[in-house]
Amino acid sequence: MEEYCIHLAILCCIYLILAHSFNISFGLAGLLNLAHIATYAIGAYTYSILTIDYGYHFVAAFLLSGVGAALFSVFVGAIAARLRGDYFALGSLGFYFVVSALLINWREVTRGVLGIAGVPRPELLEIDFYENRNFLVLAVILCLGCLACMYLLQVSPFGRLLRAQSENEFAAMSLGRDVARARNLSFLISSAFAGFSGAIFASYLNYVDPSSFSLTEMILVLSMVVVGRPGSFWGVTLSTIFLVLLPEPLRFLDFPPSAIGPLRQIVYSAILVGVVYWRKEALFPRRRVV
Amino acid sequence: MSSSTPPLLQVSSLHVHLGGRDIVQDVSFSLTVGERVGIIGPNGSGKTTLFNSLSGFLPVSAGSITFREREISTLPPHRRAQLGLGRVFQNFGIFREMSVFENMLLAVESNRKIPKRRRQSTVAEYLDLVDLLEKQKDKAGSLSGGQMRLLEIARTLAVGAELLLLDEPTAGVSPKLKDSVRNLLVHASDNKRTIVVIEHDMGFIGQLCDRILVLDVGRLVLDGPPDEIRSSQKVHEIYFGDAHA
Repeated sequence: MEEYCIHLAILCCIYLILAHSFNISFGLAGLLNLAHIATYAIGAYTYSILTIDYGYHFVAAFLLSGVGAALFSVFVGAIAARLRGDYFALGSLGFYFVVSALLINWREVTRGVLGIAGVPRPELLEIDFYENRNFLVLAVILCLGCLACMYLLQVSPFGRLLRAQSENEFAAMSLGRDVARARNLSFLISSAFAGFSGAIFASYLNYVDPSSFSLTEMILVLSMVVVGRPGSFWGVTLSTIFLVLLPEPLRFLDFPPSAIGPLRQIVYSAILVGVVYWRKEALFPRRRVV
Repeated sequence: MSSSTPPLLQVSSLHVHLGGRDIVQDVSFSLTVGERVGIIGPNGSGKTTLFNSLSGFLPVSAGSITFREREISTLPPHRRAQLGLGRVFQNFGIFREMSVFENMLLAVESNRKIPKRRRQSTVAEYLDLVDLLEKQKDKAGSLSGGQMRLLEIARTLAVGAELLLLDEPTAGVSPKLKDSVRNLLVHASDNKRTIVVIEHDMGFIGQLCDRILVLDVGRLVLDGPPDEIRSSQKVHEIYFGDAHA
């Protein structure tokens, strides 16, 4: 039971970083980047490949996983410069499928659908991080560090600018603010943190494969931000913990194992639909024109 | 305009082509520092399109826009704003979900001349100027139309705009607050800010402006003092047609 609780706590740490990173681009900047889960995947794969194939140390591989994911966001930023609203969401979805196809078909690097096994856990200060209790301490430290950075960003002038431009981009421009640059920067930062969470994920499970980064994962992350209220730091924190723990009681019900996975997705989707239905005005405010 | 003083804004042979039509055609005028200018014309005469092209939200098809002797017609909106070209929108360009304080703080943060340690006090000064200091913690969306307008104008002033382009600043504003809007603009003009107002309220324009430009079907047809414009046969023809002239 203790191992099980530690497992859930580590999952909470990973998803907290991931959900908050998505909250930067979606909650603050108002950009529904459906390729966000792809940046999570890039972080996980970058960490796995660097540690296994190139023997990188945990710290270097962890930092580079964020850099790799951030570099990918340059492409997403290029779409955002040309597309708005729903069109941007569709464009970013296209990018998700490109990454997904690469993970499956670029076998020389990603090992295709078989995935990459044996991803090492950190070797730091002679602590055995293969012991889950120790890994939890590391995950909590990394999670608190990432969340502190994202909180400071949210209350900074830059966070204020992101919120302003998402509400009225023309008014933000008329204050002399470079809205396109702010959006690109928001992608860069949110992707870097998604990359970090991907690295922790890969390190924890010792394994990555394309099925871990499916669109259903994107729906889960989207639910975490939407339920917690986009842009709200504490709301997203609570909703993430709630949604990670929510399906767990299902394990103790008398359902066949094959039904539990789909049931989880149904629960998440139902919550998402309900929240969107009841709070659509707050979630999708009317855009203003010049 | 004094011949020795270069104009603040010089618009020359401006054309804006949209959706297969020339919305603004061959418009030329100049503005000097501290001037208060009104732009009038029937609906569809190209007033807002002219503002959008001046502030960079619409591309210019031909002609030039010079601000402080610098060609700005190809600059993006935020660069023009940084140079001192401020815009107040017809549909209230405030951030409704943010507090009144945050709205003003965003503007103050955009003004690089204001040091970081003076930001809070500058916000308070501008909010005091428009009588919104007591409402600084309120959501901007909860303000009345007139208060939103005052906040937006004060914000544009706080950014450091030298030229304010105001699109129907009295729309949705109560008569009492219209006076406040006018007083604020006169105060700004006295402090060497140039004001250009698109307005249908001729009383407001007459009290505020010392020069009026008349647009019709995208062309600048008249440019003169309010008395001259008010008595112009051509203005009557534009608004009421030949039969009423």
